[in-house]
Amino acid sequence: MAVLYPSQEWCDAWKDAMNNSEAVRENGKNWGADFNGNFVFEIAPGGGLDKTTYLYLEAKAGLCSVARVVDSPIGLDPGFHVTGDYPAFKNVVRGDKDFIEGVVRGLFKVKGDMSKIMRNAKFVRAVANSFTLFEATYLGE
Amino acid sequence: MPTIDDFVRPKEWVSDFVADLGKSLRRWGEERYMPVRLQVDEDWQEHKIIGPLLKEVLVDLGLNAAFFPAEAGGTEMPDPMTMCCVIVEELARIDSGFATSCICSIWGFIPALLKPHRNMELCMEFGPKFCGDKLYMGCHAMTEPSSGADVENFGRMRGKTIQTTATADGDHWIINGHKIWPTNSGTVADLYTVVCTTKKGSTDPNDFALVMVPADTEGVSTGNPYQKCGMSADMNTDIWFDHVKVPKRYRLHGPGDDLKYWKRAIAMGNVGSAAMAIGVMKNVYEIIKKWTTERVIAGKPLKEHSICADMLSEIAMLIESTSAWMWQYAREMDRPDIYGWEPWDERFVLKSRGLALHANNAVERACSRAMDFMGSYGYAREFGIEKHWRDQKVIGLWMGGKGLKTLENARYWYDLETL
Repeated sequence: MAVLYPSQEWCDAWKDAMNNSEAVRENGKNWGADFNGNFVFEIAPGGGLDKTTYLYLEAKAGLCSVARVVDSPIGLDPGFHVTGDYPAFKNVVRGDKDFIEGVVRGLFKVKGDMSKIMRNAKFVRAVANSFTLFEATYLGE
Repeated sequence: MPTIDDFVRPKEWVSDFVADLGKSLRRWGEERYMPVRLQVDEDWQEHKIIGPLLKEVLVDLGLNAAFFPAEAGGTEMPDPMTMCCVIVEELARIDSGFATSCICSIWGFIPALLKPHRNMELCMEFGPKFCGDKLYMGCHAMTEPSSGADVENFGRMRGKTIQTTATADGDHWIINGHKIWPTNSGTVADLYTVVCTTKKGSTDPNDFALVMVPADTEGVSTGNPYQKCGMSADMNTDIWFDHVKVPKRYRLHGPGDDLKYWKRAIAMGNVGSAAMAIGVMKNVYEIIKKWTTERVIAGKPLKEHSICADMLSEIAMLIESTSAWMWQYAREMDRPDIYGWEPWDERFVLKSRGLALHANNAVERACSRAMDFMGSYGYAREFGIEKHWRDQKVIGLWMGGKGLKTLENARYWYDLETL
């Protein structure tokens, strides 16, 4: 059954998809080993999303332990904070746009150690590709 | 108070990610390279200090994998020229020889690596090695004992001076020849991209060939490193290819296309040289700014004396002008959809020689003038300028030297027919 992006149901499906993905597991062996590999995704309104939405992801050693919608990033301690608007995130979740290309081209702002993303690009891509392993619906459509 | 980050850098073209990657390299350089920078000059033969540092940047920070396809384990970064300019600037600020070694690791592979002329088969064969956990380095073997500029001067010499040959033998190429001076030769390279001809003396562009040769192939041998005036982190030796046999598929493309896409690598070398000069000039700016602020002459800081302000002004202008020019050309290379010509267009090779020449002259002038105002401190190693002064001369002598850069730039702008 398709789940709405973004929502807690979508986060639950994403967590399952990541933890069942051999590509995520294999390429993420070193992720978060000696650094904070957790993410906050800040989705700015637009394209059907009417308010800023935050998703929080905890990932280490190729496994996702937490994926949830949060009211704000206050109190969280992510290693990476990714900001973009809803249409840009939607394109990545759909598989229409490469996440790393979006970061390099400035569609997403990333705060965090860029060299870790460079070094673990295969893992980052595998996480992004796991979006396409389950069906989603989107706001504004 | 302005810093080196206030010099021209168009934020609409250089994303925060790429800029922050540059800052990561800067932090790495300050923490890991600066404490040993003075020792690097003595490490020119064995690379005992340099080798581990290359691994830290190319493997641990992921730069070797930056442009390889995801399927081969790479990061597949877009806008390669912009990314290269940021990387090279930051590393050259620390040590231009080290920057040279880093960026030249993939330079020879460019014709097979970048879209739309990527050779996926070769990327899948060699990509996992470049993108793996062990250091794997490339070397672009172009220059020969009798000529370097002549090899690059394809518009007039048309490859007729290339002595290194690739002879077809069934399913293999047999490579014979002698190269000299390429970056990352000697004990550094794991993989050579060898500039060859399939017919000695030929001016037919179809006879120009680029062939990959793993460094451990039977028949490949290298000489001892040359001790240069600078750029000790860049190892340069002779390389001999004595009946070296490699699979046919190791030719990057084929007749005509090898030369066509090699021109992109040459144009990138020109623009990258400018980035290198800018990185050096930015460190010179930092050093001379501090020096002229702290040095008090006749009751006031040296920078408050008008003759000194003349020098300081000139250095700032050299950095600004070279930066503006470089970013424009980087943008043109990355966005053929806007500018209308492909990054391997011969016209771009020619006009980017002008940028490289300007950058060579600018960094030479900046280093020399800064030294003038530091006096004896300028030629003492501890104060940082004399290393850049020695290193920058090498930047000016490569990519055909000032002669070829002058001719090809004039050829482009003035439609020269005989030069």
